[in-house]
Amino acid sequence: MARRVSASGTDKTKVTFCTDVDKSVIVHNFEKRGWVQVSPEDDWNFYWAVTQSCRNIFSVETGYRMDDKQLINHFPNHYELTRKDLLVKNIKRYRKELEREGNPLAERGDGPGKYLYLDFIPVTFVLPADYNMFVEEYRKSPQSTWIMKPCGKSQGAGIFLINKLSKLKKWSREAKNPFNPNLTKESYVISRYIDNPLLIGGKKFDLRLYVLITSFRPLKAYLFKLGFCRFCTVKYDTSIQELDNMYVHLTNVSVQKHGEEYNSKHGGKLSVHNLRLYLESTRGKAVTEKLFANITWCIIHSLKAVAPVMANDRHCFECYGYDIIIDNDLKPWLIEVNASPSLTSTTVNDRILKYKLIDNIISIVVPPDGVPDVKWNKCPPPEALGNFELLLDEELVAQEEKEYSSGKYRSSSSKWK
Amino acid sequence: MAENMGESRKVSLQKSAERLTEEIQSMANYKNLYTEIQKLVASTAVKREDFKNTLLEALKSNGLETEIRNTVFHWVRSQGSLSAVSEASTEEVDLTYLKKAQIQWERRIQKSLNSTCNELNVPLARIRPNADREELAEKWNELSTYDIDLSQYRPLYAPKDFLDVLFSIRNPSFKKQPNELNWEFGHIQIRVKTLTQLRHLYVELAKGMSLLGVNPDMSSSENFTNLEEERIYIGEKVLKSNHAPIAQEFLKRGAPRALRGRLWSLVLGSTVKQNDLEYYEELKSMVLQYDIVIDKLIIKDVQLTARNDDQYFVFEDVLYKTMLCFSRDSEVLAPVTTDRSAGGQVIHAVLQGKPATLENTLVFPPSGVIPFHGFTMYATPFCYLYDDPCAMYYTFRAFYLRYWFRLHTVSSHEQGIVALCLLFERLLQCHEPLLWIHCRNIHIQPVKIVFKWIMRGFSGHLPPEQLLYLWDLILGYDSLEIIPLLAVTILSFRKENLMQVNNQQSVEAVLADLSSLKVVPLLQLALLRE
Repeated sequence: MARRVSASGTDKTKVTFCTDVDKSVIVHNFEKRGWVQVSPEDDWNFYWAVTQSCRNIFSVETGYRMDDKQLINHFPNHYELTRKDLLVKNIKRYRKELEREGNPLAERGDGPGKYLYLDFIPVTFVLPADYNMFVEEYRKSPQSTWIMKPCGKSQGAGIFLINKLSKLKKWSREAKNPFNPNLTKESYVISRYIDNPLLIGGKKFDLRLYVLITSFRPLKAYLFKLGFCRFCTVKYDTSIQELDNMYVHLTNVSVQKHGEEYNSKHGGKLSVHNLRLYLESTRGKAVTEKLFANITWCIIHSLKAVAPVMANDRHCFECYGYDIIIDNDLKPWLIEVNASPSLTSTTVNDRILKYKLIDNIISIVVPPDGVPDVKWNKCPPPEALGNFELLLDEELVAQEEKEYSSGKYRSSSSKWK
Repeated sequence: MAENMGESRKVSLQKSAERLTEEIQSMANYKNLYTEIQKLVASTAVKREDFKNTLLEALKSNGLETEIRNTVFHWVRSQGSLSAVSEASTEEVDLTYLKKAQIQWERRIQKSLNSTCNELNVPLARIRPNADREELAEKWNELSTYDIDLSQYRPLYAPKDFLDVLFSIRNPSFKKQPNELNWEFGHIQIRVKTLTQLRHLYVELAKGMSLLGVNPDMSSSENFTNLEEERIYIGEKVLKSNHAPIAQEFLKRGAPRALRGRLWSLVLGSTVKQNDLEYYEELKSMVLQYDIVIDKLIIKDVQLTARNDDQYFVFEDVLYKTMLCFSRDSEVLAPVTTDRSAGGQVIHAVLQGKPATLENTLVFPPSGVIPFHGFTMYATPFCYLYDDPCAMYYTFRAFYLRYWFRLHTVSSHEQGIVALCLLFERLLQCHEPLLWIHCRNIHIQPVKIVFKWIMRGFSGHLPPEQLLYLWDLILGYDSLEIIPLLAVTILSFRKENLMQVNNQQSVEAVLADLSSLKVVPLLQLALLRE
């Protein structure tokens, strides 16, 4: 493919950026590249936007048309992945489709609704729509705890635990009739609560991993290696008295930050690297490797589940914050996916990490010549990946398969040359 | 003549054997071992008519022989110094002034402890009041919630203070301007190794053998896909053999993560047995029974260090337990105070409100070890190796008794802090003369830059994984000399940046972040022959 002239030619157009996220990690990264800040109304090449601004750009009313030299950091309908109810819906549909095709991945496990390989989200129902299905499931194991989350909210807002059906009924009465879908817009998801989380030092944690998508069809996904664990500040305790103590149950930094025990030097964050060291040392290498392979597995399949419904606009890329809980049997559970993972730095290390994150994202989504260009094939050279590793590039996989079947396949390293 | 030598060897062997038989009886696992052997003798495996041979055979086949061998190995190690060879050479010169310095230092710490008690109006020791005991017992697994006011407590001293003590040591036979602080330790006549001698000691590193901690995917000579796989395979065989000396040898080339905890326990003889579990419980009950002022200092130290450390904060609770139990452990007292590096000063505390009789008096603290700022860091890395607090405790304790206590006591021991600082200086002066002169020109004592690393064995300064590789080498070669060597290597690695700065603050800034360092390749580079 021919290189575009304007990039390497004498036309020294400055790359422009705009952002409505007022975070120094973002602005510094752009300025470091010599890019010039402009307002969203001006001609920009790179827009780091909040989801709302992105939606406006893509909405029919605004009629904004992006040209080939513009990139933006969200997909128009990212909520297919990041809204709790839609994620569940898409995964359920994905499993059914695979099953219909007779795909071995969709093999059933023990019990109804269980899958052997695709069982990576806790059993979940959307309320009020699936209320009856929920009750049916609830009756099967009335002793288990369930967690209620509003679909559209984030950072732990509006979340509570339920261990009795009566409590749910009481809530529904109080929350001005949410079971009549006509009266309320807000829907909830209710999921089986992972009540045997892996504890370290007696404390519960979840993983925050960053996943960069540069295209959904073909799927191109990268995993940031510097993920971290977010710890609760209080010892894990499943007793009824503690059911309402969110410092025990929720790992969100935005929740924990208000706890008395919050430490601002480390912010309750432990690197995934250290988690791995601890697990390999205390639990063994094989089980640890399996855990991390399973984490990759659940990320890839959550993405494949939404890929067909995503508006795969070539101006878009997106970095998602994956929240994963590991249970005591070292099985990972996908809890939710965030479209705008926090870029607020709570500690010095956090700042360094997020700075690197943004830096690495830019070098992956922008072609090697440094100018945004949607016509580029989106195959960054290995040195551009920084702390990201390639999870999956369906295009490369397809190419290799083609080369292999036509006998031209030589070595896997050839694709980098 | 030859016969004579043979004769004298026989005599000394005889003597050693007698001492061994006597002392083995006071070792912790003796009772256990004895019972096991008695059981074996009573079994059908041992025949009366051929008692000796059948017993030996039976000992071998059920693994008791290995147990006995390991016990002897640990006994030999607990005797005297780490490397007895150079002992003679240090005795040529009079180093009693170091011993005096240690005695003075111990007195100073004790004085400071007493004045803390007086200022805060708290006793050194008392019976723990009932309410407090109950609270402590209830919160034993989550002592971070044991809420006591420690705002008035300060660490008794910090590494910086200890360094000042070391700098003020005077060799009486060495003429110098009075009142002038020493610039270096060169005047202290302890023999330390040269780089050539270190290459001889760390021969596996010097020869460029493939080591874990460089690149686990490095190809291997045998039928394994990579080095890591080979090391795991051999390591598992080593563990199965249960021979402590073999495990020690194995560590020289680095431990695979999943085997490290068990390998360390084997080398140190700290594998937990039934009697150890009971003893650990006893220590806990001692903590509950007595309230000593050291407890506050310990809790304060965990709060100041591990609690704020992003590598270790998750282990805060287990560290409180570990350090509190350690303070009550009188088995620590004897090996530390009878070592020739110790001043042998012990405080006796009379329980508050009790008559000063023998039964109301206790050695204070029972372990004889008074914590300082950062003391907890000697224990923190073990949190990554063991889930079980008891297993963690015994390996930490064994490590402390073999190595760490030498890092906060003044002594002439070739593994002591003074010798290690001296080794650091000699290496820097010989192999990085420009850097040495630069330090002189900007009036910064080189030891001052690295002392906190050396005194903590780099704990808290390196990421856990790198630290564990470093400590593998300490255990494998049974020597702390790798620590000053690493300190020099780091300065050498950052030389260009160091040469450009000219004050303490900027020097510290250049060396503040060691998170990107890979310890094993750095050390190997330094030890490889040019």
